[in-house]
Amino acid sequence: MNLMAEILLNVLIAFFIGSLLFGLQRKVMARIQMRPGPPIIQHLLHTLKFFIKETVFPKTAAMPFYVVITLILMAIWVAAVIIGPVTHGPLLLLFAIFAIHKIVEHNAGSSSGSPYGKLSCVRAVFSAAAELPLFAVLIIIYLKTGTMDLAGIIAYQDAHGALLLSIPLTALMFIVLIISKSYYFSPFNITLAKDIISGFETEHFGTLRGFIMMSESITWYMLVWIFLTVFIGGLSPIGYLIGMVIVTAVIGLINAITPILNPNHSVMAEVTLAFIGIVGSIAMIYI
Amino acid sequence: MDLTTLGGQLLGIIPLGDIVLYVTTFNLFMSVAALVFTVLIAMSRTEKQVEAQFGTLNDREKKVSKDEFKIRRFLSIICGIATAGAMITGDLFNFTLFVTLIGIVNIGIVSAVKEVDVLDSAFQYGIIAMLATLPLFGGAALILGTTGTLSMLEIVNIPTTAMMLFGSILLFIGVAGESGVAPFFATKAEMFRTAGSPFLVIIHLSSLLVIVRAIEILLIINKPF
Repeated sequence: MNLMAEILLNVLIAFFIGSLLFGLQRKVMARIQMRPGPPIIQHLLHTLKFFIKETVFPKTAAMPFYVVITLILMAIWVAAVIIGPVTHGPLLLLFAIFAIHKIVEHNAGSSSGSPYGKLSCVRAVFSAAAELPLFAVLIIIYLKTGTMDLAGIIAYQDAHGALLLSIPLTALMFIVLIISKSYYFSPFNITLAKDIISGFETEHFGTLRGFIMMSESITWYMLVWIFLTVFIGGLSPIGYLIGMVIVTAVIGLINAITPILNPNHSVMAEVTLAFIGIVGSIAMIYI
Repeated sequence: MDLTTLGGQLLGIIPLGDIVLYVTTFNLFMSVAALVFTVLIAMSRTEKQVEAQFGTLNDREKKVSKDEFKIRRFLSIICGIATAGAMITGDLFNFTLFVTLIGIVNIGIVSAVKEVDVLDSAFQYGIIAMLATLPLFGGAALILGTTGTLSMLEIVNIPTTAMMLFGSILLFIGVAGESGVAPFFATKAEMFRTAGSPFLVIIHLSSLLVIVRAIEILLIINKPF
């Protein structure tokens, strides 16, 4: 297939599947709480709705950063799709993309001038101290497999079996990171917590909000895709779909039965888990 | 092991005398990201922070004055260029210099703000950044003494020794202190409370990108295979 067509197809798949997975997560949470819950396509409709709404700009906003930051968020996750499903490139590059994602959260919050956004911005700075070490557990993969290349990691698992079985602590740490990025009532997602309305999204309206929500769906798809690829191996499209549904449903269950932690508790819990994950995994590899 | 194991395809080498820059997909992406943010910072206005006042229905606006805006924008641009340089350099000594420059301008970006809490935070961060220069340059010096070179293109082919491991640990402590990441983060968090969103983002950007690059450099020095 033509490369451009493949990129476009993969980005569209990431957006639609990511949106439906968020809808599924909300449905699972509702059923656990004995509610019917919204239809699974609700998150997708919610995203598309913003593209036909009026876009207004706060007079306090830092222009043009306030607008461009939403496009940067979109661009980095489209780049992640190219590095991941399309070319099976280096894992370190995905780590860099995640670091820039934290910067986008920071700036999307602070550029509006809203106090809610500003609080989300400060929380993004705090949470980066916890989420980056959690993403960094993927360095353990390098120690185990000798490569940072996704194609090489898939080949290693074809020969030696799934990494989920040989370094389960690392996989668990990555699941904690995925939980922190789940959209609805995550115990660790302090930047979008409801005590600060919608966090860094609060003052972005219309098309800009649509772009942010679209990017978040792609983010979810990509994080789950990285988890499945790095810890289970290269799967068929049906295998990926089943894996994504299972991971999303499990995280919906976790979100439904856990309290939303305050920023200090959330960051300390994540840092502690990252420390246990890194030290424990290195011990499992070398001892 | 070679550089492409970590950073993807080697796109090119730029020899500038003793300073050899190398460009992999990873380095190029991060360097371009730093430059894109720098251009946006140069173009962007600052936001106005609006806060509710107690006892009245009025709002209080916090603005950045013109003089403060000019000096902070200048320092932010220098910080962005230094970050882009740190992402792309192939020389360990240049990396440490860029990281030190990032630390200095980060303090400057915040010191221009006339708020007591923010200045306190900048002062504490400044002390840690100054202390961190010792392990930062000490680590690089140990690696130079052990390997005889500071070029990462050469270091990647030299087997790891205990002294290189020790040097890289010192280097990482230095980078963590200079960029103000955990466990030194508490000193820096207060700095983000002030107005001036475009200038604050470069402080965060430089810290995170430098840490990601430092991980690549540590893996280049300490080859597990």
